[in-house]
Amino acid sequence: MIHSKALLLLSCDFATAWNSRKLIVSNKRLLPILMDELHLSALVLSYSPKSEQAWSHRRWVINMIARNCSTLQWIIERESELVEKIAERSKMNYRAWNHRCWLVSFMTREQVLDELKKSRNWSGLHVADNSCFHYRRRLMLRNLEGFCYTQDNNSSGYFVETYQIWKEELDWNESLIKQYVGREALWLHRRFLSMYLIKHMATHLLAVSCQSKPKASVDIDIDSLMDHELCLVHSCSTTIADANFEDFQAQAIHSAAYMLWLTKQIPEYQGIDIQEKLRAGVGDVTRMLKRSCPDRSSLWDYLVGYHSEP
Amino acid sequence: MGELAADKHVKYIISVEKKKDSFESVVMEHLRLNGAYWGLTTLDILGKLDAVDEEDVISWILKCQDESGGFAGNIGHDPHVLYTLSAVQVLALFDKVDILDADKVSNYIVGLQNEDGSFSGDIWGEVDTRFSYIAICCLSILQRLDKINVDKAVEYIVSCKNLDGGFGCTPGGESHAGQIFCCVGALAIAGALHHVDKDLLGWWLCERQVKSGGLNGRPEKLPDVCYSWWVLSSLIMIDRVHWINKDKLVKFILDCQDMENGGISDRPDDAVDVFHTYFGVAGLSLLEYPGLKPIDPAYALPVDVVNRIFFSKK
Repeated sequence: MIHSKALLLLSCDFATAWNSRKLIVSNKRLLPILMDELHLSALVLSYSPKSEQAWSHRRWVINMIARNCSTLQWIIERESELVEKIAERSKMNYRAWNHRCWLVSFMTREQVLDELKKSRNWSGLHVADNSCFHYRRRLMLRNLEGFCYTQDNNSSGYFVETYQIWKEELDWNESLIKQYVGREALWLHRRFLSMYLIKHMATHLLAVSCQSKPKASVDIDIDSLMDHELCLVHSCSTTIADANFEDFQAQAIHSAAYMLWLTKQIPEYQGIDIQEKLRAGVGDVTRMLKRSCPDRSSLWDYLVGYHSEP
Repeated sequence: MGELAADKHVKYIISVEKKKDSFESVVMEHLRLNGAYWGLTTLDILGKLDAVDEEDVISWILKCQDESGGFAGNIGHDPHVLYTLSAVQVLALFDKVDILDADKVSNYIVGLQNEDGSFSGDIWGEVDTRFSYIAICCLSILQRLDKINVDKAVEYIVSCKNLDGGFGCTPGGESHAGQIFCCVGALAIAGALHHVDKDLLGWWLCERQVKSGGLNGRPEKLPDVCYSWWVLSSLIMIDRVHWINKDKLVKFILDCQDMENGGISDRPDDAVDVFHTYFGVAGLSLLEYPGLKPIDPAYALPVDVVNRIFFSKK
């Protein structure tokens, strides 16, 4: 164990050394020994935050703990905090965030909602970190999964809560978009949020309102949602008047691409009005995109052509 | 536009191959077999595979084989699918795949398929779509693809598809160009590309091109030459490569060369390494840069090597 430790401190991806430790630990399986392995890999990660072997070793240890010990929930919380600490120094660290996403499958619904709340501030301070927003999407999807499997009387309450979470995230995202001009990660997050709200939650509303409890009614008006999004896109596109400012130009491009995304994602059955509104906006958007992002001309042409009249 | 300093790169790769005692080499000792694949495939694309001693390379590779049938990154290390694929690919370059006991190697890989169709990298159980690609690619070269449950393998890969059309390393994982290459490549080899939403994924992939012409691997990241391979080969496999600006990408790759000492780095003016040298040259080959052998986007081997495997009479 001493030799492998020395080796790993020098060459952290030396898999054979990590494996030899796994072999020895498998024969003992005591919590203190497993915790030691977490300490060693945390030490390695403090200076090599991208070490694939170190992250993989942690997952192996946690799987061992999950089988034998009841401290799992507490360990999951600590792991999540560890990732956040490492992510502070190592931006968009794929392995770190992947590890955090992996933890989500071990979380209870309460933990999922708690994580969403706790990680919000951090995300708001790291708006260029696409990985942290992907993590939020993972949490939100996990929460939604839970709803789909809920069959009890509380299902409409659960739905209302879930819808609130989604709506809050959209509002918060919009405030960040206006504050931090031209950040791709924020717009990508919005693509996901709108798409899900319109495609999946609207259909749930229909199902829930049939069981109707008046207290539980939620008004998802797709029309006004779309109007709101179009307004937002319009306000971001017109700030391009002085195209010298890179951030504003990026904002215009991202908002325009976002609108094209919506036109592609909204299925026909949502109503002709919406399709008309989107189509009306598409012409300007395409012109602007081709001017400021000519490298992707073929893509813009294709996407617009996708929705042209038969 | 600059030019490809092919001779310099050949010299660079050979010098790296010889320097076994440098600190850099020792610290990378555990993945030397991957290094062999990157270096030798680059030499082959540049038409200079004969610059190395074939016997030497092959005998060393065979010493990396473990009794389980899998290959390790170097002699005495633990086996893993990562090195098993590199071993088979390097042998393919020399048209010596048949010196292997194909059943033995296949059994190692087959034993790593899990119930949900995914693949573990080794006996310690880590799952990643990279390992799915490795399994499918390797078994395909060994012509033993029927030994695994291909349908289940495809099903698992599809479960890793995200809402943006991309793929992550496990279900729910963030889309990443490297993982996307692995998933698309695996589906291509398994004849299951119809599961890919080509427009959606093509869109995500072409958004990887930044102003300088280089490609990044995820939103908001810096461009890196290695993505010239992963993004580009994926675009080619789904037939959407016309959605990026190819000339600008060529220029970016050429700017990443060290014109004095040879080798290619991740972005202009950084230090070079074999990994990025391979991906830069492979990317240029996909972009049909003159003087380079064409490379297969799914197998990541020269096209003539792939043809030899599947079309020559045995």
